Amino acid sequence: MTSKKIINNMADNIDPSLFDFAEYDESKSELTGYSNYSFWRSTVQVFMKNKVAVALLILIVTVVLFTLVQPYLPNQKSPTKIYLDPNTGLQYRNVQPNDEFIFGTNSIGQDLWARLWSGTRTSLYIGVAVGIFEAIVGITIGALWGYVRKLDAIITEIYNVWDNIPSTVVLIILTYIMKPSIPTIIFAMCMTGWLQMARFVRNLILIIRDREYNLASRCLGTPTGRIITKNLLPYLVSVIMLRMALAIPAAIGNEVFLSYIGMGLPVDIPSLGNLINEGRALMMDPSQRYQLFFPAAVISVVTISFYVIGNVFADSADPRNHV
Amino acid sequence: MINNEIVLSIEDLVIKFNLRGQELTAIRGASLTLYKGESLAIVGESGSGKSVFTKSFMGLLDANGRIESGSILYQGNDLAKYKTEDEWIKIRGKEIAMVFQDPMTSLNPLKKVGRQVQESIELHQNLKGEEAKKLAVEILNDVGISDPEIRYNQYPHEFSGGMRQRVVIAIAVACNPNILICDEPTTALDVTIQAQILQLLKNLQKKYRLTIIYITHDLGVVANVADRIAVMYAGDIIELGLSEEVFFDPKHPYTWALLSSLPQLGIKGEALYSIKGTPPNLFKEIKGDAFAPRNPHALKIDFEERPPYFEVSPTHKARTWLLDPRAPKVEPPLLIQKMKEMEVKRGEGIE
Amino acid sequence: MKYILIRLSRSLLTLIIVVTVVFLLMRMMPIEGYFGASFDKLDEAQKTAKLNNLGLLDPWYIQLKNFYTDILKGDLGESITYRPKVAITKILGDKLITSIRFGLASLAVSLIVGLSLGIVMARFKGKFWDKLGTCYVVGANAVPAVIYYLLIQVYFTDIFKLPLLYSKSDPKSWILPVLCLSLVNIAYYAMWIRRYMVDELNKDYVRLARAKGLKNKDIMTRHVMRNAFVPMAQYLPASILYTVSGSIYVESLFSIPGTGGLLVTAIQRQDNTLVQALVLLYSSIGIVGLMLGDILMASFDPRIKLSQEGGSR
Repeated sequence: MTSKKIINNMADNIDPSLFDFAEYDESKSELTGYSNYSFWRSTVQVFMKNKVAVALLILIVTVVLFTLVQPYLPNQKSPTKIYLDPNTGLQYRNVQPNDEFIFGTNSIGQDLWARLWSGTRTSLYIGVAVGIFEAIVGITIGALWGYVRKLDAIITEIYNVWDNIPSTVVLIILTYIMKPSIPTIIFAMCMTGWLQMARFVRNLILIIRDREYNLASRCLGTPTGRIITKNLLPYLVSVIMLRMALAIPAAIGNEVFLSYIGMGLPVDIPSLGNLINEGRALMMDPSQRYQLFFPAAVISVVTISFYVIGNVFADSADPRNHV
Repeated sequence: MINNEIVLSIEDLVIKFNLRGQELTAIRGASLTLYKGESLAIVGESGSGKSVFTKSFMGLLDANGRIESGSILYQGNDLAKYKTEDEWIKIRGKEIAMVFQDPMTSLNPLKKVGRQVQESIELHQNLKGEEAKKLAVEILNDVGISDPEIRYNQYPHEFSGGMRQRVVIAIAVACNPNILICDEPTTALDVTIQAQILQLLKNLQKKYRLTIIYITHDLGVVANVADRIAVMYAGDIIELGLSEEVFFDPKHPYTWALLSSLPQLGIKGEALYSIKGTPPNLFKEIKGDAFAPRNPHALKIDFEERPPYFEVSPTHKARTWLLDPRAPKVEPPLLIQKMKEMEVKRGEGIE
Repeated sequence: MKYILIRLSRSLLTLIIVVTVVFLLMRMMPIEGYFGASFDKLDEAQKTAKLNNLGLLDPWYIQLKNFYTDILKGDLGESITYRPKVAITKILGDKLITSIRFGLASLAVSLIVGLSLGIVMARFKGKFWDKLGTCYVVGANAVPAVIYYLLIQVYFTDIFKLPLLYSKSDPKSWILPVLCLSLVNIAYYAMWIRRYMVDELNKDYVRLARAKGLKNKDIMTRHVMRNAFVPMAQYLPASILYTVSGSIYVESLFSIPGTGGLLVTAIQRQDNTLVQALVLLYSSIGIVGLMLGDILMASFDPRIKLSQEGGSR
């Protein structure tokens, strides 16, 4: 059988020894598909690509660190002390921002700068506490809900009922009964917040039980521990991180709401909610608007940062976005 | 068949994709000629580029893909140069139509089936309203759907898989195209339905004078319908010829490997043949013959220079250095020879 | 038919449980609330007499029974402390209408602006409008609503010379409240339709439509958009019905006499009957809205048969 070349003269210049057989290495042929993929590394890589999220992360870390460090800086004033003008002996009421009072003072002469950072500390503390407790309660209930088949029906009914009670009702009633204070507010918010987390975790457990790749893992003899760490945990952690990151803006929102209707923290504990309320009372006077503006700005920065970071992280943890 | 006019001519097509910052070369200089009225099968593994290749004829590449170089000549126009939607609108449906793989998802679940066929007619056949509806019903009948007037008003979820695929074919045929591309038309269907669909396509080809390209990884389908076969590997057409030539006188080691993998050739009690290794990474540039790392018959030059096409007959060519006069003579594997014997016996059996 | 009845009865059961739970919660509130300022001045006998009068000393199951029998008679009871002795239905009447009006106006604005924004964002995915829209959505979702309501009230009244408070006679006084009410919903609808359109555009049937030779514009209108409204139909009835609850923030900030602050005030004043009536109202709306939504969606989507099982929401 003859064969004719179709193209090229270049082929004439080829070294004849190249037409010898090459060494055939079976194992080498399998090499083409290697990859050293690591879930968490890819997650971080994708997250880092989002410049906005990274910037906000740096920003929020700075802010949080600052709120913690601020009381120990030189020349800081106390958030609760009422400052008197040394000349007149009168309270420094509603003084606009100047050299002495960086953010001005409020209507009874307290330093707004100190109050603002104290309030941020308080609100962040509440938010983190709520986030953690919600996670614990939500995961526990969610796990039971999803794992123990017998409990599924009962907990579903409880969920449906609780879901239908307007959360404002629960929040207000609980706060009212227990008298507003930091622990009671945290408790009340958890009571309404655990629903979402439990639901996520429950769906997750169902996925573990039913998804085929887990079934396949079990068939291959993968030990349960490894199934949990390699199949379940990455997904679970990213979901939890998202919920916790979003819990903080939600908690701040709820706290502001409670203050607005007069059921917030006592006025002697500075909080972002209280500050907004105080600012609101004076907002129609243009010279006093700073009292609303500064707390509003801090709230916006904090809530937007956590919201964006939480969402971008959740997106980064999605393997479909991995390189 | 070869003497018919050329309906589509692709020359040295290179298609690249931008994927997460890296560039992937999906098609690495493929060439093909399509003759009027024939059935051409493009065969290859998943990832060989079969779908991407044909999608480029209709401008259906994903947004991150582009034709880097080469030409697609159709009726005097180079489709590879088309950029705008308006240009492609003239081709899609009207000249070239496509049947997709999965009938479950190819139909709009919220629209009546008949309306979806009628949409094709109203777009391409200059009919509207009642007349279009009549033709739609007729086409539904042609594709083998009984009680077409009733079925016209039903929704996709009321049809079985095979029926849905018939509807998809009806939609394509209703466009009155010159060329019909069937991308794995039977892969998602039961074996019994597969034969029916293939027969349907053959009938429609006759009735509507279509030129059909079948994309498939199923050699059984190919044997059933194809006049000519193009074998694709790693974005290149490595062997092209008449059906009998490629099946019984294959020249490229990949074609040997592909055919050897047919379970029918296995000897009872022995392990089935499988090709070792995986297709190459298309993100990297490939030197020489793409199949070389997995090829037991590879020559040293396969790792250095890309083989040109060597002609085996006026209708049969393959891209392998083994066909070069300077190369050592290599016999096709036993399994291939066995297949030839089986075919000869079968032919004798008939007589 | 049978399915609808089953769902109705399950919903009814949920409703009863919800109201009972709130009923019990209210009874846990400290009794000082019923007396207000006069608490210290009354002696034990007077306190007991008043509590008796209010029916609060009967065993709780008797109270519950009375409550439900009254409802079946169409009697929501009288307000205890909010407006003593006034029938609740009378209190609710006007306020409901006001809140509903604002709610519907806001719904219309949110739908029109939100959907348009979302479509633009999907169309220009990744480009300027999409990024701008995303900033807006993030801001609307992350920051507590009251913040931007306050800022709007402060600055927009100055810049645009709009009225500060609502008054029936001045149509311009509607602008800011409706704007505030719509902000969050615009973000919601925009994100929702954007996500939907982006998802649908990747589906197979859209690819087939394109392969048929349909122009992008026609694919959008005839296939994608029409399909997009089906899932939305599920939430539309509930949204409309929820307008009765009014926004506590907006209504208090702009002095709108609606139902917004009513629930809060009722709880604070421990007006049990009023609280119960309102919870009953809101919960039933939620449940009825969901049911209507399911029915509406089923009528649009031929794949859904009402006999399918529903899980927890």
